[in-house]
Amino acid sequence: MPSEYTVEPHIQYASLEHQGDSAQDCMWVFLATETVFFGAIIFTYFLYRVFYSAEFDVAGKDAVFWCGSVNIGILLTSSLTMVLAVNSGAQGRRRAMIWWLIATMALGFIFMAVKGYEYYQDFTDRVVPAVNFLMKPEEAPAGELFWDFYWIATALHAIHLTIGLALIAYVLLWRIRRGEITPEYYQPLEVIAIYWSFVDTVWLFLYPSIYLLGRS
Amino acid sequence: MAVSLSLDLPVGAVVKLNLEVDARKAGPALFVIAWAFLLVLTGISIWTAFLGLGSWAAVLEYGIAAVQTGILFTFFMRLKGPPSVKWVFAGSGFFWLSVLIGYSFLDYATRSGWPWHG
Repeated sequence: MPSEYTVEPHIQYASLEHQGDSAQDCMWVFLATETVFFGAIIFTYFLYRVFYSAEFDVAGKDAVFWCGSVNIGILLTSSLTMVLAVNSGAQGRRRAMIWWLIATMALGFIFMAVKGYEYYQDFTDRVVPAVNFLMKPEEAPAGELFWDFYWIATALHAIHLTIGLALIAYVLLWRIRRGEITPEYYQPLEVIAIYWSFVDTVWLFLYPSIYLLGRS
Repeated sequence: MAVSLSLDLPVGAVVKLNLEVDARKAGPALFVIAWAFLLVLTGISIWTAFLGLGSWAAVLEYGIAAVQTGILFTFFMRLKGPPSVKWVFAGSGFFWLSVLIGYSFLDYATRSGWPWHG
């Protein structure tokens, strides 16, 4: 039960604070690898856009602009609700923490629903390379490269967001229910919040790459 | 024309916003302000995309994304604050990415005959 549960540091740590700091550092190390991972993908896109700018401009106009724009607002708002959940947990406001986490999950699911609708639109617009793709004459020969990037980058982002949703569900249904998130030790939540906001920052760069460049 | 406003507040009353980043002491104000700023920057990014700025649009839009990332890292991901070395780990990702991008640029800058438009 939450009231009876006492959180103790693992044997290799001197204190809960030491354990929490190590957890945060480890998440930042992981995010360093993620920075290179997504950075390399976006850089590859950037090179192709420089060399095939006219073709990419034509291809990019088929991206569903409103879906990407709504989703950036949803993700930024979810970062706000997530950080407010962490603050509530750190300050012992358990009910507020739970509601902010539910709000974050709801925003995550709305993002995925909008993305799902966008994928459906993409399929009907025949912009799915190797599955259902129709090359427009003015975007040949490189237009398909734009859509290769679009599908790979957005699918990888969606996988990361799904992992974030699973982590929040785990904290909600397991750690918080067992009373393991307390003002003395709220780092598991903080670490997930750092990951969640990082996934948000990835979208900050995917959004202009897919939906904005070449719009005018 | 001079306009004077008087507020019926006790003498010495000061409106104080809690701008603390530390989760144990933070209020919502700082994060709500940062969130609103992020949305405004997104609006500017969308607006500039339709201005016909040519290649400058990319500079502006990626620049705005970089500023937004800075805000998220500083406040929402609490890069400022303990543990004190986490900025080294965060910075290492950008360092290795800059190595990757730098060498790739060198490669493309010194190639000839690419892209191939057979």
